[in-house]
Amino acid sequence: MSLLKKTIKETSHLNWILLVFLLFFYLTGFIFVGRLMPAGETVIVEVNGKTVYKLALSEDRIVDVKGPIGVTKVEVKDGRVRVLYSPCPEKICMKQGWIRRGVIICVPNRVVVSIKGGKVRGVDAITG
Amino acid sequence: MNHMKSVRSWIFSLFLLSVLVSCRWGGDKVYRESDFLLDTVVTVSVVSGSAGRAGQAIEKVFRELKRLGGLLNFYSSKSEIREINENAGVKPVRVSGDTLRVIQRAIEAAEETNGAFDITVGVITHLYDFRKKIHPSADAVRAGLALVDYRDIEVDPGRMTVFLRKKGMMIDPGGITKGYAADRAVSILKKEGIRAALVAVAGDIRGYGLKPDGKPWRVGIRNPRGAGDDIFAAVELRDQAISTSGDYERFFIEGGVRYHHLIDPKTGYPARGVISTTVIAPLAVKTDSLATAVFISGVARGMKIIEGLGYNAIMIDSGGVRHLTEGIRDRVEFIKKDN
Amino acid sequence: MQSQDRLRVALLVAVAIALHGFERTIPTPIPWLRFGFANIITLTAVVFYGLRVALMITLIRVFVVSLFVGTFLGPGFILSLGGGLASTIAMGGVFYLLGGLFSPLGLSLIGAFAHNLAQLFLAYLLFVRKIDAILYLSPVILVFGVLAGTVNGLASGMLIISLREEGLRVGRKAMGKEHGAQGTGR
Repeated sequence: MSLLKKTIKETSHLNWILLVFLLFFYLTGFIFVGRLMPAGETVIVEVNGKTVYKLALSEDRIVDVKGPIGVTKVEVKDGRVRVLYSPCPEKICMKQGWIRRGVIICVPNRVVVSIKGGKVRGVDAITG
Repeated sequence: MNHMKSVRSWIFSLFLLSVLVSCRWGGDKVYRESDFLLDTVVTVSVVSGSAGRAGQAIEKVFRELKRLGGLLNFYSSKSEIREINENAGVKPVRVSGDTLRVIQRAIEAAEETNGAFDITVGVITHLYDFRKKIHPSADAVRAGLALVDYRDIEVDPGRMTVFLRKKGMMIDPGGITKGYAADRAVSILKKEGIRAALVAVAGDIRGYGLKPDGKPWRVGIRNPRGAGDDIFAAVELRDQAISTSGDYERFFIEGGVRYHHLIDPKTGYPARGVISTTVIAPLAVKTDSLATAVFISGVARGMKIIEGLGYNAIMIDSGGVRHLTEGIRDRVEFIKKDN
Repeated sequence: MQSQDRLRVALLVAVAIALHGFERTIPTPIPWLRFGFANIITLTAVVFYGLRVALMITLIRVFVVSLFVGTFLGPGFILSLGGGLASTIAMGGVFYLLGGLFSPLGLSLIGAFAHNLAQLFLAYLLFVRKIDAILYLSPVILVFGVLAGTVNGLASGMLIISLREEGLRVGRKAMGKEHGAQGTGR
């Protein structure tokens, strides 16, 4: 019997139940967190935990965010936001592309771009 | 020895299984999604006990709004509006039910407001470019005015056609499409069994039902001379729609004159005297078109139109003075400026 | 400890270092998200030589690789160390407290879970103090962990069985006890 088969045979079913349980737990978590992920009409840009910009998703704009290692450019267009350029070495934040919900973070430059929904100024929506 | 291990592992298995089975989400929550449709940001907030059902309902709304956007987009090369405009003075164009209905509602609004809301003013508005700060010459406006008259739109409901009688006529339903879409969104949500929701197609908003905390939806009205999310008032929406037209939405200032997008169909120039109008009525298709019409009609005539229809409005004239209909006085909360 | 065992442990350390160093060259979507192949060694060590030896191997592995590559005391190092310690303690703890309840597969899954949890927590505490961002990434990281944990668990299982057949003794008292080359575990 191959070594792998033997290993599997020796694995009590509890282990498989655990595996299934974890997978189920995480995959539902995927969906849950996806929904939970803030969607809204405001983009919050923070540097080192401090909010520097509050932009409307409905207004196309490009802003410069100054961080410890340089200037990160954030672009809002067509109801989405992305990191246009960042001076970090790995450029992971740039590779994320456009988001409509959730967050983009640039760890080296300490920049966090997040979408915020919910109440703005105590109201559920704004007309005008 | 092996027995014990076996029994223990079975007990643990059963424990894990029961935890798996009893996983459940409960309680009503607000689920909120945004998308870029109809050339703007559409946000739908839904109250539901299940994330799945909320997501499904919202998906349906977005799909429908995307479809409507395709039909009614003034700028798109494939829209039915484009086809109608290209065949002005030539022949009637066969259209789908939604396009027909939008145009019918637009004509209704024109009749109710004595021509203040008139989608044929598109022949002049499309000559404006607010980004490049371009406005038409006096001659172009005069030439365009000859083609502005909603009575020259021929709608044949039987044959499902729309015909623009004069060559060169152009209709732009932009002032009513968002309201129409918001109403459509609400009917979809109600059909999906959602008992409370708030649909915001940019500034054309309709809300029904109560939030989980038992309160109705609260909508803020943007301060016409403020920045970003600065609001001057808040209104509670109890199964109602609200729209606002302002001279600050699309504009540029040239030679001290503000050129904005709310063109008076009678003069061909941006309407003066008012800087912001908000209309509250049961349907968004009404609030959208009437907000524009009332802005153009001015305070006196505008208020009369709204009161005649039994709706409510808040207008701010160019002097900064607020005018309200009687019915809304107790339901508006004016927000003090905070720094 | 017998010299034979010492030799084996040294070999395990070497293999752990090699695995850890090698897997860093495999590209992954999120930085510092690794398969954790070295956990195969960690788990094997827990089963045959006990928690203390396993911890030692983990520490040596993380320190040596980070010093060599130049990421010592950097963010990657912190996450590796935190995750490695958490998973080693989790696997060792479960193995010793719950006896043979879980096979290598289950232990590896528990270890992976502890590893990911520790990393997410450290990332939140030290780097990105935004719970939304952490929540956003957690499902991806955790699912990745389960899959890697399964692979590692089965591989550990195979390694443990073959070593057991070579005569190594499984169990808590394996450390410091004189034992012959005979005996196939419990």
